Amino acid sequence: GEMRLSVAAAISHGRVFRRLGLGPRSRLDLLRNLVTALVRHERIEAPWARADEMRGYAERLIDYAKLGDTNERAMRMADFWLTEKDLIHKLFKVLAPRFQPHPGSYTRLLQIPNRDGLDRAKMAVIELKGNP
Amino acid sequence: FSCSACRASSDEKPGKFQPPPKPVIIDKLKQIEERRFLSPEFIPPRGRTDPLKFFIERKDMIQRRKVFNIPEFYVGSILAVTTADLYAKDKVNRFVGICIQRGGKGLGATFVLRNVIENQGVEICYELYNPRIQAIEVLKLEKRLDDNLMYLRDALPEYSTFDVNMKPETRLDHEEIPINKLQVRMKPKPWSKRWERPKYNIKGIKFELPEKVMKEAQKWSQPWLEFDMLREYDTSKIEEKIWKEVNEGLKK
Repeated sequence: GEMRLSVAAAISHGRVFRRLGLGPRSRLDLLRNLVTALVRHERIEAPWARADEMRGYAERLIDYAKLGDTNERAMRMADFWLTEKDLIHKLFKVLAPRFQPHPGSYTRLLQIPNRDGLDRAKMAVIELKGNP
Repeated sequence: FSCSACRASSDEKPGKFQPPPKPVIIDKLKQIEERRFLSPEFIPPRGRTDPLKFFIERKDMIQRRKVFNIPEFYVGSILAVTTADLYAKDKVNRFVGICIQRGGKGLGATFVLRNVIENQGVEICYELYNPRIQAIEVLKLEKRLDDNLMYLRDALPEYSTFDVNMKPETRLDHEEIPINKLQVRMKPKPWSKRWERPKYNIKGIKFELPEKVMKEAQKWSQPWLEFDMLREYDTSKIEEKIWKEVNEGLKK
C-alpha cells in the first residue's frame, strides 16, 4: 500500500469572503444587522472576523450614500442594508455630509481583550470616525 | 460658380468681400468622441497580481494592434476570420460565424465563432492576438441582448446558420451600434445547461416552457446577490486611464 505522506491543507486559493453563519444569505443578514447597529450607535463591539467583513460593506454603503438621496440605486442599497428605516434618514442627512471631505476610510477597527464567556473569542471595536 | 452672384445677394459695397459662414463641424467631432470602445481584454481583472504584468501585456497588445487591425466587435456580430494554415490548399483558412463569447484578458483574449455548415454546428475559438491570424473582417456589427450566446447550441439551427459568402455590411453612421432584440426559440428540453435559471440571466430566449417550470427555476434565484456591494467591480476610472494609454500608444 501507499501512505499519504503530506497532510491535506485547507487552502482557500484567493477567496476574499469569510464563511459566516449558515450560508451566503445568513452571512449577509448577520453583516446587515451589524451595519445597522454601527449606523445607530457609531461604535460597536463584535467578534473580530465579523467586524472585519462588516467594515468593507459599511464603507461602501457610505460611498453609496455620498451619491445622494435622489439616486435610485443608493436608496435601494440603503433600504436593503439598514433594517431600521429611521437610520436611512440618518445615513443620508448626517453621515454622508460628515464624510464628504474624506475620500476613503471612514471606520476604525481596534482589537480588545478576548471575550469573557466560555468561547474566549477574539473581539474588536469598530467605530465611525468623528463620532461624538 | 462665380463670385458676382454672391456679391449681388449680399447687397453691400461692391469692394467688400464677405467670407462665407463657417460650416458647423463641432457636433460630429463631439459625437465621435462620445462613443469610445475599449476592447474588454484591456481591462485587468480584479485580483492581487502586480499591475506591471498588465502594463507589459498592454504594451505588447498595442504593438500587435499597430501591425494588424483588430476591429471593434461585440458578442452577436458576424465575423470572418482568415488564418494561416499549412495544410490547406491556399495556405489560408477562412471561417465565418457569429461571435458567441469573448473570454480571457490580456494577450490570451479569445472569441468563439459559431456557424452551422452542412447541418453540423461548428464552433471555433480564436485568439485575438494570435500571429497566425491574417485578417478579421466584421461582416455585420451588432449587439444582442446577452453577453454570452452559448444558448445557441440548444436553439434551433436556423438561428446559428450564416452564409459563408456573406458580403460585409457597410455602416454609414458612426454611432449607435444596433441591438438585435431577437428572441430565440429552443429545441425540446434536455439542454446542455438549464438556461431558464436566473443565474444565467438570459434575456434573449423565448421560453415556451410551462409556468410551473419557470416558477421552479426561480427557486434558485439569489436576490441578495445584487445587494452584495463587495462583489461589484467599478471599472470607470481604470478604463479612463487605459483608454488614454492605448490611444497614446496607437498614435505613435
